[in-house]
Amino acid sequence: MRSPDAVTVRRAPLRPLLAKEVGELLSGRALWTMLLILCPLVGYSFFQAVALYGEASAAARDQPQLATSLSPLDGILVPTFGAFYITVTLLFPFVAIRVLGREKETGALKLLVQLPHQIPILVAAKLAAVTVAWLIGLIPAATALLLWLWFGGHLNALETSNLLLGHLLYGVLIGAIALFAAAISDNSATAAIVTLGFTIGSWVLDFALAGQSGTLGWISHLSLTQALRTFEQGLFSAALVLGMCAAIVGFATLAAIWLHPGTSLHKRLTRTILCVGLAGVLLAVATQLRKSSDLSEDKRNSFPAADQRALARLKQPLIITVHLAPEDPRYVDLQRNVLSKLERIVPNVTIRLVTAGQSVIGSAGEESYGEIEYSYGGHSAKSRSTSHREALPLIYGLAGIPVPTPEPGEDYPGYPLVADGWIALPWFFVALPLLIAVAWWWNRRPPRIPAQFAKNGGQL
Amino acid sequence: MEAALLEVAGITKWYGEQRALANVSFDIRRGEILGLIGPNGSGKTTLLETIAGLLPIDAGNVLWQHSSLPENRRREVVFYLPDGVRPWDGQHVIRVLEFFARAFGRPAAELDEVTRSVGLEPVLGKRVCVLSKGYAHRLTLALALLTPHPVLLMDEPFDGFDIRQTREIMNLMRRVAAHGRTFTLAIHQLADAEHVCDRFILLADGRVCGIGSLDDLRAGIGQTTARLEDVFLALT
Repeated sequence: MRSPDAVTVRRAPLRPLLAKEVGELLSGRALWTMLLILCPLVGYSFFQAVALYGEASAAARDQPQLATSLSPLDGILVPTFGAFYITVTLLFPFVAIRVLGREKETGALKLLVQLPHQIPILVAAKLAAVTVAWLIGLIPAATALLLWLWFGGHLNALETSNLLLGHLLYGVLIGAIALFAAAISDNSATAAIVTLGFTIGSWVLDFALAGQSGTLGWISHLSLTQALRTFEQGLFSAALVLGMCAAIVGFATLAAIWLHPGTSLHKRLTRTILCVGLAGVLLAVATQLRKSSDLSEDKRNSFPAADQRALARLKQPLIITVHLAPEDPRYVDLQRNVLSKLERIVPNVTIRLVTAGQSVIGSAGEESYGEIEYSYGGHSAKSRSTSHREALPLIYGLAGIPVPTPEPGEDYPGYPLVADGWIALPWFFVALPLLIAVAWWWNRRPPRIPAQFAKNGGQL
Repeated sequence: MEAALLEVAGITKWYGEQRALANVSFDIRRGEILGLIGPNGSGKTTLLETIAGLLPIDAGNVLWQHSSLPENRRREVVFYLPDGVRPWDGQHVIRVLEFFARAFGRPAAELDEVTRSVGLEPVLGKRVCVLSKGYAHRLTLALALLTPHPVLLMDEPFDGFDIRQTREIMNLMRRVAAHGRTFTLAIHQLADAEHVCDRFILLADGRVCGIGSLDDLRAGIGQTTARLEDVFLALT
């Protein structure tokens, strides 16, 4: 037997830790069960999406102008990934909680925190393993995209990557929340309740506060579901990405703060307050970022290119006063068609919602209700239209610049496709689950025992 | 006399209104096997976990070679093996051993030596969750031996072993201690403690009732041939 080493523990390698964390995930049933559930869910969503897309495409044969509204992002990607989103929301927390919860339940946590790694490194390794689990969970949805390409379907690389990025950030955020929940909970069941409180709480926020303005509206923006919608619209928002990254780092840091059993409650609480404060500052900074890119192939988040260039040159403040209740469908239209696009492109724009806090019924009697007033350079003009075709000429008139001439060839062609989605069903309901079951069995095989032990009867 | 390697100075620990440790002080010397003796609930596990920095303390200090050793640096010199853990129970025994060896940068030859010394060869291909209590204990013992720490704290290291296995493990500890590693063992089986430990700390209700070798303790109660059991009853 060797003599003990010097006082300091050596710098620890990361690879064995990562391998251990991924091994832990693969050795549990949670990940494999989630994968098996994902197959029929994603498969049926994909099959239905292909069928509906095919019906719409068939109609476009007779009326070619309908083809321009056929986008694979809306027709195939979003519905297929919708099933993935539901599974990640409801089942992925159980996979992620296991990464830490099992160690708490078996007492292995006391060994873990004595490893020669810093606590943040331990948590980072767990988060990396959670990310690997998310990537494995992506397999059914990824095969759906490959099937779509095999059918002859079209996928735009940028908007597809953007959607995948959104789902990745959402999945890792759920994982970070689950790690935090596992760190503060005595057992996995409590951790699951805490995590589902966040995820299902997001749905409640969505249903209860959607369309509200003011503080309630701000709270509704904290919904995790809302975050994903931006990516589903083909928009890459720097503020959103930074905000989600800040939330991931924040929850992971909280998990690190609460992980070590030797830290006193007073220290944990102090550090928690500091962490929440810092994350809050980061989130506040993130909301100030206006940089965003419209990665959708049909440029649905932007005005036509000539208008974009003209609007970007407006240097003076553009003030838009809207006399509509937030839940009024006209306001939703205006927001989608005009306001959100103006906010992205005009350097200095302020939007005032005059009827904030009032309902449609309470405000509809007012004469000014429904008016949208545009003010620029000391001039103002009013309109009741929610279309950019009327709003933009008004703004150009106020700014004293000519209406730009539309550029030819920038219309989105649309990608109609009538495909037989039936072929996907045996893949998602039989072949892929079978492959997953085989991979599960393969993973459970005993490892090869080194020869020196095998000789002594080590291999069972 | 061997100089103190690690000193425990006045550790006090409260669980709410209940005092678990009351001003506990003692030292640990290089290469010795120190027995922490006491009945269930006397504070043995709490004491080991506070020394390892796994439980916050209300008062007191731990010194390493006469210098204060803050909680976040305890794991550099002390490794604590808790009782009854089945670490990473979904994984195979060989994988858990390899992970620990790699994490602490131990060479393959040492992994082989430790595996053989605790007799884990027959179960290397099994998952931790299906191991018997004895083999699970051997596994955790192997993990502790794979660490490079000069001081090993072990909670009930002989639980789950039969007499022959206990003797094997005791002999192994003796061999390891002869190379300069120090063991502090929390034991409630006094016969086992008497057999393996060089010195004893008698703990009752979170207080130290006696410290020293068996001869020192015997001298303290004036019974030169008393067994540890008698000494413990006399002092607590």
